[in-house]
Amino acid sequence: MKPLITEQERETAFKFPKKQEIIDKQRLPVRYHVEDFDVEDRPRRFLEAFAAILKHTNYRFVLDHYVKVSAKCSRCAVACQIYLATGDDQDIPCYRSELLLSVYRRHFTMSGILRGRIFGDPGLTDEQIQEMADSFWNCTACRRCHFECPVGIDHAIVTHLGRYILSEIGIAPRALVVSTREQLIGKTGNTSAIPVPALLDSLEFLSEDMEEEKGIDIPFPIDQEGAEYLFVPAVSDFLMEADTLMGNAAVFRATGDSWTVGTGYFDGINYGLFYSDHVLEKVVQKIEAEAERLKVKKILIGECGHASRSAYFFYPTFCGGKDALPVINIMEYTYQALKEGRIKLDPDVVTEKVTYHDPCNIVRSGWIVEQPREILKAFCKNYVEMTPNRRNNICCGGGGGTVSIDEIRPYRTMVGGRVKADQIRATGAKYCVAPCANCKKQLRELMEDNGIDCEIVGLHDLLYKAIIFESAKKSEVIRGENSRNHMEEV
Amino acid sequence: MDAWIEFGRGPLFRLCFTLMVLGLARIAVLTVIGMVEALKKNEDKIVPWRELFNKTFTWLVPVTVLFRTRPVYSLVSFLFHIGLIITPLFFTAHVLLWKRSVGFGWFTLPQSLADYLTLTVIVGGLLLFLMRVLYGPARAISRKQDYVWPLLLVIPFLTGYLCVNGSISAATYRWMMLMHVLTGNLIMVMIPFTKIAHCILIPFSQLVTGIGWKFPRGAGDLVIETLGYKDRPTWVEKPRLGCESMDRVEREADDK
Repeated sequence: MKPLITEQERETAFKFPKKQEIIDKQRLPVRYHVEDFDVEDRPRRFLEAFAAILKHTNYRFVLDHYVKVSAKCSRCAVACQIYLATGDDQDIPCYRSELLLSVYRRHFTMSGILRGRIFGDPGLTDEQIQEMADSFWNCTACRRCHFECPVGIDHAIVTHLGRYILSEIGIAPRALVVSTREQLIGKTGNTSAIPVPALLDSLEFLSEDMEEEKGIDIPFPIDQEGAEYLFVPAVSDFLMEADTLMGNAAVFRATGDSWTVGTGYFDGINYGLFYSDHVLEKVVQKIEAEAERLKVKKILIGECGHASRSAYFFYPTFCGGKDALPVINIMEYTYQALKEGRIKLDPDVVTEKVTYHDPCNIVRSGWIVEQPREILKAFCKNYVEMTPNRRNNICCGGGGGTVSIDEIRPYRTMVGGRVKADQIRATGAKYCVAPCANCKKQLRELMEDNGIDCEIVGLHDLLYKAIIFESAKKSEVIRGENSRNHMEEV
Repeated sequence: MDAWIEFGRGPLFRLCFTLMVLGLARIAVLTVIGMVEALKKNEDKIVPWRELFNKTFTWLVPVTVLFRTRPVYSLVSFLFHIGLIITPLFFTAHVLLWKRSVGFGWFTLPQSLADYLTLTVIVGGLLLFLMRVLYGPARAISRKQDYVWPLLLVIPFLTGYLCVNGSISAATYRWMMLMHVLTGNLIMVMIPFTKIAHCILIPFSQLVTGIGWKFPRGAGDLVIETLGYKDRPTWVEKPRLGCESMDRVEREADDK
């Protein structure tokens, strides 16, 4: 199949950022950085980790099923934005899954073991591990291929397991590992290493800002025991997405519901979803501990795809099943409030063309599809859809944790996001709303590297511009006018 | 020759058919056991049943999702499957054989329709084979059985068609019939052990995936315990090789 990228782009995208001596020492020429770990006997340790995981988890029956049912129809190839960009056979989802499934078949099924004995097949090799380490981190785990598979295989679950096994023998992107370590055993307890005083400072600063702009006191409640909602955004929002946070706070100011940010734990990011079930569990349980400490009634996740998915789907898994606290996303909350008429939005503020990007982690399951669209249509005059959209939307190219690996940026913006870039360019939109911390970072880099003139914003960023407080001081009308003029200048 | 044919569609058929049914029942039961055990192991028993059943049904009758990707291939494959499933089950002569043997029969297809379906399977099988050979991505992921199956499946349909419609001599007819019976039996025996097992497993696929995404609580700790790690490799602050941190090596390399 003809690739979308040119030979030259391919060379840049797949360039090695690593020094030769490091490759020699680690014996693992993958494009992302990894920490030091044992290099001897990798196949044996891989198989041990694989066996231990199969023993204690549910993956065995899934792999058993996939091994039998796979019909190799190759419909998934056309659904994969990585394969469309590179045209390399090894980027076909089914090919990628087969890397791990063949190891399973050879070492963990009766027929495979027998065949190995009879034909003298030595089994798993270092080269295979190398190939998996590369391939599983090329994938953005967007699950789009799952929707094209006639026999119902979910290649993302195989990638997910493959990454888990690799991480147990020390092969995982250093960027993710270092952040997770800070989150789980570090001093600050969050992935961006923000100390609590700094957090409080910046929230206070935002409140002052909002009072100036909207003429009304909009607080960020801190450590409010017994609040209705515990607010857990992606922690990077506190550093980089001030507008999103202000939008979130403004919605709560308008509805008057009680919510709180907990100083004990305020990070929704969960890289466990990308590389380790163990991490996934520990991080989700940190949210549980904070919810218990503050005796809140619900968990509210900010604008972030993977944080939402890891909490919504795995909070019950690791924190008490059906008895677990309900988890909702801020967009669901805002949509509900809008429907009940508790938020007033000015339809004349945002006049530019706006489009919406569905983050894979919240849309593929059909969880949050129409809510953000309804919100946007309520105040954006010029709203357009991308094609394809909704559950079939194309991944930003930075999913599955790859966006946090800075050294592979050329790969992400040339290969991973290639199809996405064309898709956004085709809409001609001025604003692309991407309610996800991962997608925002990736899409901004994508726009920059591909020279597309489109501003990537969060949903609540735009909403903040349009929200009206009737109780605000009179002088605010003028300020509102000013901000509108400012918007047009932008 | 006639005795061989009779053996093929008598005792041999009964054996092969039994093996197929038992084999398929075995993998179906194992799959169900796998799902039940997984659910038992999990603390979280929330499964989106309705959505999973909807998805299952959608893919069992895939008319709404078929043409999104590879439309031509998908259409050929769809028609091929219809012919493949319906014709052997409702072909008049087959039903008569059942009636002779077990005493009851069922609804049969009109001869002309059976002929069209048979031709669909023959042409479809050949097209599927060609599309696998000629389409790069398909070639890249194909195993030996993926090339063999479409051709193998065509043989009983082709021979059957010739026996019914071909103006062939009695001797040729017997050879054709023998081949028809033998390949039919061979296919039945092989079904449970190859990818054609998807004929029984597809209804479970979405459920397996749905339940597969639910993890048992505490498994991560148990894995670490089993592996005998004091710490998870990626949770250890210091590099585990006992040599200097990779950062230093990188810095030195940068300095150079």
